[in-house]
Amino acid sequence: MIQFEHVSKVYETQSDENVALEDINIQIEEGEFVFILGHSGAGKSTFLKLMLMEEKPTKGKVFINGQDLTRLRRRKVPYMRRQMGVVFQDFRLIPTMTVYENVAFAMRVTNISSKTIKNRVPFALSLVGLEDKMDRLPDELSGGEQQRVAVARALAHGPKLIIADEPTGNIDPEMSMDIMQLFEAINKVHITVVVVTHEHELVQKLAQKYNNRVITLAHGQVASDTSHPEVAEMYEARMREMGMEPTYL
Amino acid sequence: MRFSSFAYLVGQGLHNMRANRLMTFASMGVQTVCMILVGAALLFSMNIDAMVDYIGEQNESYVYLVDGLSDEQITAAGEAIKAVPGVVEVTYISPTDVLTEFDDMLSSYTNLTDTFSSDNPFHSMYKVVVDDVANIDPIIEDLSMIENVESVSATRELSKLFVSVQTVVNYISYGLVAVLALVSIVVINNTIRLTVFARRKEIGIMKLVGATNGFIRFPFFVEGVTSGLISAAASSGVVCGAYYALYRFYLENPTTLSNLLGGTLVPLEEVWYYIVLGFVAFGFVMCGIGTATSIRKHLNV
Ligand SMILES: Nc1ncnc2c1ncn2[C@@H]1O[C@H](COP(=O)(O)OP(=O)(O)O)[C@@H](O)[C@H]1O
Ligand SMILES: [Mg+2]
Repeated sequence: MIQFEHVSKVYETQSDENVALEDINIQIEEGEFVFILGHSGAGKSTFLKLMLMEEKPTKGKVFINGQDLTRLRRRKVPYMRRQMGVVFQDFRLIPTMTVYENVAFAMRVTNISSKTIKNRVPFALSLVGLEDKMDRLPDELSGGEQQRVAVARALAHGPKLIIADEPTGNIDPEMSMDIMQLFEAINKVHITVVVVTHEHELVQKLAQKYNNRVITLAHGQVASDTSHPEVAEMYEARMREMGMEPTYL
Repeated sequence: MRFSSFAYLVGQGLHNMRANRLMTFASMGVQTVCMILVGAALLFSMNIDAMVDYIGEQNESYVYLVDGLSDEQITAAGEAIKAVPGVVEVTYISPTDVLTEFDDMLSSYTNLTDTFSSDNPFHSMYKVVVDDVANIDPIIEDLSMIENVESVSATRELSKLFVSVQTVVNYISYGLVAVLALVSIVVINNTIRLTVFARRKEIGIMKLVGATNGFIRFPFFVEGVTSGLISAAASSGVVCGAYYALYRFYLENPTTLSNLLGGTLVPLEEVWYYIVLGFVAFGFVMCGIGTATSIRKHLNV
């Protein structure tokens, strides 16, 4: 479903070049649940932005459902994005819209009937425990609540792939566990889930319980992958070659 | 597009207008002024056209023949006049016709027919109508070269003046319309740009959740085109009202000059639909262009 082939991403800033990802090779199958684990600045958000076509790879190719994103027509981009549900690290809620509207408009964009919207928005919000705050504006919610609205929005239009960037970054541990278990439940109905996080303790707990795949990013490289143990050795060898100690988190 | 999406997007456009009402109001004001000026220029030019037509219809030149010609010579001269390019109508007027006409005009004072019955002082002449008053000079030259023609008189001075006024007025009108169209586009462009700028984050988010450019653009078009149509309605009202008042004033206060030019302006009944349709089209097209050029930048996400 998702395939990264020798993908590198270099951000050009005025002063220098910032290597965010370096020669990434990852394949994620349909129906998988994958944690992307890594310290801050490891390149996790960049990884997601490449899937969303918010950024273009400097080198290499990204495929989604066999479609090479670097060769996707500009006109087709919206339709590709509709197949995904995205929880952004910075939420990206629209401040002038109520919670209900924030979820509803993302469905409207996808050309879903207003009847379906009316039914599904409250349902999606109840999944994240916000059914009684539908008429609030995002500013009137806590950070964690805003994050849960973002989760509801990502789920509401029924995507085949859920991508979440630090979805528990602003939520207390208990609620974090609930959100993660919500993703696990969604995955049970064969929806592919990619969750990016730096909370390795939470990942450890969940991955063991649900047998999830964990890919660790470090310094823009894949440092380990529970589905491909050989990756870790390759990473260590590469780091030693460069005279560096392999670090993970 | 689903009807519910359509209704939603129209609602968004109208909502944007209200949210941005000061700027919307200002831009509608500028557009209304532009349209009023365009309307005034067009009405002015329409009336000049009508006056030129009127004078053109009055365009009667007279070709006087020399005295004492035979009937054959008169007919030959008539044929020669007909053959001049640009001449569309030729009517023979005999000295007796002239005398009768004058007699009719002066019947209360004297009886000319009796006085001059045996010794008519008038010459034979031809009344000539040309197709285009603008070309009257070469025609008159041709006419005066014809054998047995004594002189040619044309009411051409007024015609010439009006034809040149017509040309100038038309050029000024076209120029004015072009400039005002540009002003309208710039004003709308700026208004919409302001809304777009206020919503640029929102537009970015919409793009990331899979909105097409058309979906994002639509409310802005609604906003631009609605303000164009409101301006069109306002300026139609002002222009038609003012023109009707002017029409009445012109009719009720005749002057020598106005009589010479037909005595009346083109009536409102004959022009109002040009005005209204013109304004609507102007508002629609200019706002469409203004809107289209203002959004592009923020859609590249
Ligand atoms: N728009 C940008 N311009 C320049 N550098 C960037 C930009 N976005 C991210 N980076 C850099 O790329 C690296 C990876 O960033 P990111 O993918 O956001 O990491 P993470 O999400 O794992 O914290 C960091 O060093 C960051 O400073
Ligand atoms: Mg990040």
